[in-house]
Order: sequence, then C-alpha cells, then structure tokens
Amino acid sequence: MVAKTEKSAVDLLKSPGMTSLFKSLKLKTKQQELLIRVTILFLVYVLAFITRLFSVLRYESMIHEFDPYFNYRVTQFLTQKGFYEFWNWFDSESWYPLGRIVGGTLFPGLMVTAYLIYRTLQFLRFAIHIREVCVLTAPFFASNTTLVAYFFGKELWDSGAGLVAAVLIAICPGYISRSVAGSYDNEGVAIFALLLTFYLFVKAVNTGSLAFALASAFGYFYMVSAWGGYVFIINLIPLYVMVLLITGRYSMRLYVAYNCTYILGMLLAMQIRFVGFQHVQSGEHMAAMGVFFLMQVFYFLDWVKHLLNDPKLFHTFLRITVTCAVGLGAIALGVGTASGYISPWTGRFYSLLDPTYAKDHIPIIASVSEHQPTAWSSFMFDFHILLFLFPAGLYFCFKRLSDATIFIVMYGLTSMYFAGVMVRLILVATPAVCLISAIAVSATIKNLTQLVRAKSKASHSASGKGTISKASSKGSLDQSLPFQRNGAIALLLGAFFLLSRYAIHCTWVTSEAYSSPSIVLAARGAHGNRVIFDDYREAYFWLRQNTPPDAKVMSWWDYGYQITAMGNRTVIVDNNTWNNTHIATVGRAMSSYEDEAYDIMRSLDVDYVLVVFGGVTGYSSDDINKFLWMVRIGGGVFPVIKEPDYLVNGEYRVDKGAAPKMLNCLMYKLSYYRFGEVTTEYGKPPGSQILYLLGMGLSPASTSAYISMVVVKLIFIKNQIWTKS
Amino acid sequence: MAIFTTLTNANSAVPLILLLILNLLTPLASSLSSDSVVSELSALQSQSSTGVIHLTDPLLRRILSLPTPRPFHFLLFFDAQSLHSKAELSLPTLKSEFALVSSSFYTNNPDQKGLIFFFEIEFQESQSSFALFGVNSLPHIRLFPPSATDLKKDSIPMDASDFSRLAESMAEFIESRSRLSVGPVHRPPIVSKKQIAFIAIAILIWTPFFLKKLIAGNTVLHDKNIWMAGAIFVYFFSVSGAMFNIIRKMPMFLLDRNDPSKLVFFYQGSGMQLGAEGFAVGFLYTIVGLLLAFVTHVLIRVKNRTVQRVTMIIVLLVSFLAVKQVVFLDNWKTGYGIHAYWPSSWQ
Repeated sequence: MVAKTEKSAVDLLKSPGMTSLFKSLKLKTKQQELLIRVTILFLVYVLAFITRLFSVLRYESMIHEFDPYFNYRVTQFLTQKGFYEFWNWFDSESWYPLGRIVGGTLFPGLMVTAYLIYRTLQFLRFAIHIREVCVLTAPFFASNTTLVAYFFGKELWDSGAGLVAAVLIAICPGYISRSVAGSYDNEGVAIFALLLTFYLFVKAVNTGSLAFALASAFGYFYMVSAWGGYVFIINLIPLYVMVLLITGRYSMRLYVAYNCTYILGMLLAMQIRFVGFQHVQSGEHMAAMGVFFLMQVFYFLDWVKHLLNDPKLFHTFLRITVTCAVGLGAIALGVGTASGYISPWTGRFYSLLDPTYAKDHIPIIASVSEHQPTAWSSFMFDFHILLFLFPAGLYFCFKRLSDATIFIVMYGLTSMYFAGVMVRLILVATPAVCLISAIAVSATIKNLTQLVRAKSKASHSASGKGTISKASSKGSLDQSLPFQRNGAIALLLGAFFLLSRYAIHCTWVTSEAYSSPSIVLAARGAHGNRVIFDDYREAYFWLRQNTPPDAKVMSWWDYGYQITAMGNRTVIVDNNTWNNTHIATVGRAMSSYEDEAYDIMRSLDVDYVLVVFGGVTGYSSDDINKFLWMVRIGGGVFPVIKEPDYLVNGEYRVDKGAAPKMLNCLMYKLSYYRFGEVTTEYGKPPGSQILYLLGMGLSPASTSAYISMVVVKLIFIKNQIWTKS
Repeated sequence: MAIFTTLTNANSAVPLILLLILNLLTPLASSLSSDSVVSELSALQSQSSTGVIHLTDPLLRRILSLPTPRPFHFLLFFDAQSLHSKAELSLPTLKSEFALVSSSFYTNNPDQKGLIFFFEIEFQESQSSFALFGVNSLPHIRLFPPSATDLKKDSIPMDASDFSRLAESMAEFIESRSRLSVGPVHRPPIVSKKQIAFIAIAILIWTPFFLKKLIAGNTVLHDKNIWMAGAIFVYFFSVSGAMFNIIRKMPMFLLDRNDPSKLVFFYQGSGMQLGAEGFAVGFLYTIVGLLLAFVTHVLIRVKNRTVQRVTMIIVLLVSFLAVKQVVFLDNWKTGYGIHAYWPSSWQ
C-alpha cells in the first residue's frame, strides 16, 4: 500500500491523464501545478504517518525500547503534577542512594511537546490517554519533517526536488528506525528541529532576512531543548560560515543570518538547565564563538576598506588586524582552557573526531550497541538506492554551486562521516542524504521529461543512464537523434522502477525490522505462526505486584528505566549513565565472587537482583552476552577486576571450559542457577524465555551469604507457572 | 595475531643440554654472590638505551647459577634475525614493543630497577640456550619468576593474546604475573620534538603567504574540483565502512576455516564486515557516480557518434550491474528476503 501511494504520488506529478483532467476543470497552469503539489504533499504527510504505524498493527500501542520508558514516566509526572513540579523534580527512585535531579539533567523538549499536544487535545475535548499521545508523537513529527524537507528542497533546488525529498524522507528507513509509533525518544522530535533550524538558517543566508534568522534561532532553541545532538548544529553552522569566508563568499546576508542566529540561539539555549552556560564555557561550543568574532573582524575590515580607498594601506592594515585577531583568539582560548574556565571536549565528542578513542578510553560509550561503527550493510539497509543517488546529487550540487548547495553538501558529507563512526548517527545523515538524492532524482527526471515532451526541438542530447542519467544540455551538437524520445522514456521507466524498489525496500524494512518494540519479542514458530514473548513486561509487573514498594532492585543499567517505569521500584543504576563509578560498582558486583558481591550489594541496600538470561530460547541479547562489558566497565574503575581473568586464551566462553573466575562470578551463577532443571523439563513447555529474579534475603542473619541470597523466582511466562524456591 | 613458526636448525640440542646442565650444576658450588651479578646487570642495563640487555650464553649461565629465589624477575624475548623478514611473524614490531615496555618500566619505576630485567636473546649466537628453554617457535616471550629453578616448567610463557595488543598487553601480563606495575607505556611521539618545532616554524612562515593568496582568491581551496574530489573521498570512506575497519581493526580477508588455502572475502552477518569487502562495495557505490561525471564531462567531447553510443550503453550496463550486485550482496549478507506486500486478493 505504501509502495502504491508513493508511486501514485510520483505518478501524479507526471501523468498526462491528470493534467487533462485538470484542463477540463479550466484551471490555469499555475493553479493546476499548485493543486498537484499540495495534494502530493498532503499524501506524503499522511504516508509518513501511517507507515510508522506498523508497530502498532503488529504489536500494540506501547512504548518501545529503553529510554522511551523514562521519557514516558517523566511525561506522566508532568501531566499529573504540572510544569514546575516537573522542573524541580528530584527522583529518589533511581540511582539509589544518590538519586537524580531530573529537571536539571534532561532535555525537556520532548516531554513538554507531548504535554502540550495532550493539553490541546484535552482542550478540544478529545479524551485520550497520555500514552497514546506519547506513542504517536514521533510519527506526527516525522510527518512535519516531510514538510520541512519539501521547503528545504525548494530552497536548495526547486519545488520538484522538494517534493521528491519529502517523499524520500517520509519512508527512508534511516529515519523510520527512530520514529516509529511507540519510539518515544528525543530523536523523534529532534530531527524535525534539526532540519527546521538548518532550513531557516539557509533561508536566512539566502535572503539576508532578520525574520528568518530569528526563526532559525528559535528552531535552534527547540533543538537544544530536545536533544544533545544540537552540538552538531552549533559546529556545522560555524564550519559552513568558515568555508564561505575562505572561499570568498562573505556577504552581508551571511553576516546578518549568522550573528542573529548565534547570539539569540545562544541566549535561548542557556534557558535549558541541562545546557546552561556550556555555550560560553565548553570546548565543543568554542568554534561557534570563534567564528562569531571572525565575522566581526571581517565586517570591520570591510568597513575600513570602504573608508580607506587605498589598497596598499589597506593591505598593511589587514595584515596587522588579522594577526592580532588570530593571536588574541588563540591566547584567549589557551588561557580559558588552562584556567579551567573552558572545559575540554567531552568523551563522546572526542570519540567522533578520533573514533578509536572511545574504544580505548571510555568503555561505557563503546559498550552501547548504537555507538558501534557502521558496516556497509547498515548503510545499504538504511538508505538503499539513495546511496547511489548521493554522489550524483553531490555532482549536481557542485555544478550549480550556491550558498545553499554548499550548505547541503557540507551537511551531507560531515553527517556521512559521523554516520560511519556511529550507527545511530545515520539518523542525522538521513535528511541530508534524502535531500541530495532528491536533487539527483528531480534534476534527472526533469531533464528526461523535457526530452519526452519536446517534440523535436533537438537541443538536448539523449544520453542518460539508469537513475541518474545525464541528459545534460551542455555542449551538445546533435541536430536530431532518432531514438531520443524512446530512450528517454525507457530511462524514465527505469528510474521509476528503481524508486518503486526503494519504496518496497522501505516498507519491508519498516514492517519487519524497525517496528519491533524490543521489549516484546516475536519469533516464528515451527509452523510459521508468530510467537510473542512478553516476558519482560510480565517480569516487571511481577516485581510491581510481589515485592515491597521500597525494594531496591539491582540490574545492569540497560533495564533501569524499564524497572522504574513499569515495575515502579527503585533501581541502583539506569540508562542515564551519568555516574560511571556507580555503574562500575554494579559491574564489579556482577563479576565478583558471590561472597564479595554480597558485601557490595549489602552496602548498596540491594533487595533484588534482576538478571536476564536467554539461554533457554537462544535470545542473544541477554546479560551473559553483555557480561564482558560489565567486566570492562567495572575494571575501568576497580582494577581488581581484570578482563583476562574471564577469558580462556583470549576467548569468551561460558561452557565447561570457561575461566574459573567466570564460572564462579555472580552473574554466571545467577544466570545458570538451576539451569539443569529447566532444560530437563524443556520438552514440555516449548520455547520459553526465562528471567531469573534473585532476591536477597532481607535478613542477613543466615550464615552463608549464598544461602540467604537464593530466593530465586523462575518465571515461566508461557505457561504461567511461577515457581519459588 | 602472530603466526608461530618452527625453527629449523636446532638439531644439536641433546648433547648441549647435557653440557649446560653440567654447567648449571657446577657453579652452584662456587660462591658467585648475587650482588655482583645484579650490579653487572644493572651496568649493562644502564648502557642500553631502552634497558633491554642482550643476553649471551655465559651471562645466562651466570644468572642461572644464582641461588633461588633470585632477587629479580626477568623477561626474555627470543629473537631471530633471520626471521625478521617474515612479515607474518612481526618480530621487529614485537621487539620494539618489548623495548618500549622495558623503557617505560624503568622510567615509571626508577626505584625498582633491580627487581626486573628485560633480556633479548639471539637465535644465531645462542642456539644452545634456545634448546635449553625448549623454544622451537617464534615469537616467544617468557617470564622467569625469582623462584624458577626448572627453566621449562617454572617459567611462564606469554600467550599470543598477551602480545596481541602489543606493549599494553605485555605490560598487563607482567603486572598480572609478577605483581610489578609497569605503569603507562610511553610511546615515542610519531614526530619528535625537533620535528614539531620545525613544522611549527614552517607553518608560521607559510601562513602569511597563504593568507595573502587566500585573500587574492587563488588557492587550492578555491578550486571546485579539489572540493569535489574530497567530497567523493569522504563519501567513499564512509559508505565502505572504512571507519568500521579502523575501529575494529578488521583484517582485509580471512582464511577459510575448513579449507585454509581458500580466502574468505565476504563475511555473512550484518553486524560485521571484512576490509576488502567494504572497499569492494564502496567502490561499487562510487563507480555509479564517477561514471556519471565521466559521461557528462569526457564523453560529450568525443566527436564520433558511435563511440559515444557504445560507451553510453556500456556505462548503463555497468551501472545497472553495480546496483544489482550491491542489492544482491546486501540480501545475501543480511539474510533478509525483501519483498513487497501485495493485496492478498492478488495472490
């Protein structure tokens, strides 16, 4: 269905039948064009929304993954207690015993957006639960992104490119992966904000309009409030301005646009507590400030040049000023860094510039699966034919170089590089790839259709190829080419074939790969039927029902948000990895011998330990698979934990031949506790996922640590058998 | 990962061992005080720039003659000049890394100089010692604790995994086995201080000239083609997963486990890739764009119409095959069968 809609959108643009229909309605050509354009945009808008509903169709209306559960919990808090309570919220249920100042350590944009949508709907008398609002926020913003993409494409090239860009981005898997219904995460609204900021900035540069620069600053403010990825904007825009300055494209428009956006954007961004004074204090934001001062120097020089009218004098002056300015800037930066006023770059930022940095120095960053480097197949999976169109689009951009196309080329290349470093940054690259590819598609199709339409004007050479055919009008000497028209038609068909392959690919990927909530697992049964494993949620509800309300649960940080949101219990660490030492303590407990681990857990007041074990069903992302990272992170802070102790000849094994330390550490013991009994009974309950919940005895009276610890609840979710030993 | 190879000319081993054992036993009686040996070693160590002592047979004999427990650990690197040319053994690299560990240890722990000694031993001149240690494959590094009496049993060989990460993992090995902390490894910077100073001066001199040119608008930065080439390069670099190869240090290809004579270039499984595989696919991605540039820039200058058409058809065909090949490879690699959803009434 999606494929059809997409096709029909493109068909609409070109089909002669439609045109004749409109002719009979006696509309002027311009009106017809407008009507078609608006219709297509509307269809794309709807398409972008409905294609993201696959997850609701296949599972149910629920929040996905890990981080969204925190966002959901916070949004619930916001709707119940109001904004100021939320802003000053100290959450004692996570990071026990430290707690977390939630208001000051999150990006509130997403929650406030959902809250406002919810209030608006309430005001319009739609009785809707906040969960549904949260589930549908990301698709709604994805739809809005298509509109921004249209206007951006229009600004960069022409309205045709804008339409194609809107269609491409509506179904591009790279974006869908983070914006399906239920994926209630910052990125969902942030990509909209990112593209909006860029669009408004480019518009401001093109027009020199103060209004657009102001709007861009507000777009930037929204972006800052929504996602930490705003650092990309605050570095890309200065880089872009720098390139314009170097290539001699300095203009008054640029001056107005950049200064207004930077100053206002900075002031606005400081209102977000989590960001605070970073814009003037952190090394990551210094490039923007440097370029700001450079702009003033440029403007000043321009003014002096205007006054002097003597080139020789001016050159002397220029030399002195530039040297002084650069020198002063360097000294200021040096003094600022040395005195500690300007903080150095954070690890995450540094690991983008030197990708091997994280692996060697910050295991907590390197351990996250979405921070892994990207293999070529991931690119193919997320972009499909856009990858082939991208160089072609770059080529078109270079052929028609303007301030706007320079921007999109820079955006495309930098984000492409970052996407190569981290899988999750494919998301940031997606709008750029879509826009650049759209330019390629639009320019090609435009040329081809001109060929088809031109009866025999014979001013074009009929050469083109595949998707990105050349069909350039440059330097052609042909008088008449006999197969010109047929060739063009064939190429057009080829292009549409490729585009429809893209649509098919995107639909399939959305439906099969990106709609999984990862908290509910689906598998194919022996007879091709779908088997749903809902063990996670059952386990969390078990926690909620069967443990004392003040129980403290220790688990690896991945499950922290879910336990607090669904189990409503206090956790030791969660997905907000702000305190590495605390996480390392948990890692150390998991990788120590039982008696040592017991002491650590007593010191943390732990009542229950949650371990995810997938050994029965072959679920691969369980804690045993993540265990090496616990060792690494634990060892990073506590050198008593050494990775080689858990390996056999550099190999990670969990079977009989595993390292003795491995076999006796807490994680292993918990994971395989009474595993033999499970497998013997395995023949009867087919394919079930097991979560072992291990509660520590609340009274430490018993002599052996281990005996008091093993209150194991095995949960056979499939058969609803709850055994307790 | 180093590959172990067998040393060939260790044939006269047995009589030599006997001789050596005799040698070992006899000097025990003679009172060679440990102090004199240690001071001799310290002298040798301070002569060497990295602190690695070249071990000869007589010296080894004297060391072994000391009563156990000896006052120091020692670490022995078995070297063979004749095998330095074999790239897969990477002996020269390991040797320099070994020296790096040694010098790092001595700079980090100046007060513990007498507690551990680093030796290297050359195969050509000390074949007998090689036999004594029972070393018949390289690379080989061994740690001798103070209490080691039996050279083969009591010493601890370094596993391949212990020098896989070069000096850092060697240091970890020493720390875990000898309780002596090496501390951070001080790698010499890639450019020395003098070079840095030279480069800095060169840049300082060059900057005004560059600025002048920049203002005049006639540098490489103003050349569109340079930017274009750079753009293509960045694109190629990203989509080929070169970053993945660098971060994960992936090899270009693997040997087939079942049949070692075969090479595996393509790895099945979506989260992984091999070096050559990434470049091949990146090339396929890029070639489509490059062909476009070729067609629009070079081909239109060709006068002959037939040549134009034939080239055009070839270009079309190549592009088509490239797209098809990549899609095929992707489906094979990820194992996904991507298909369209048609209305059920159509089937």
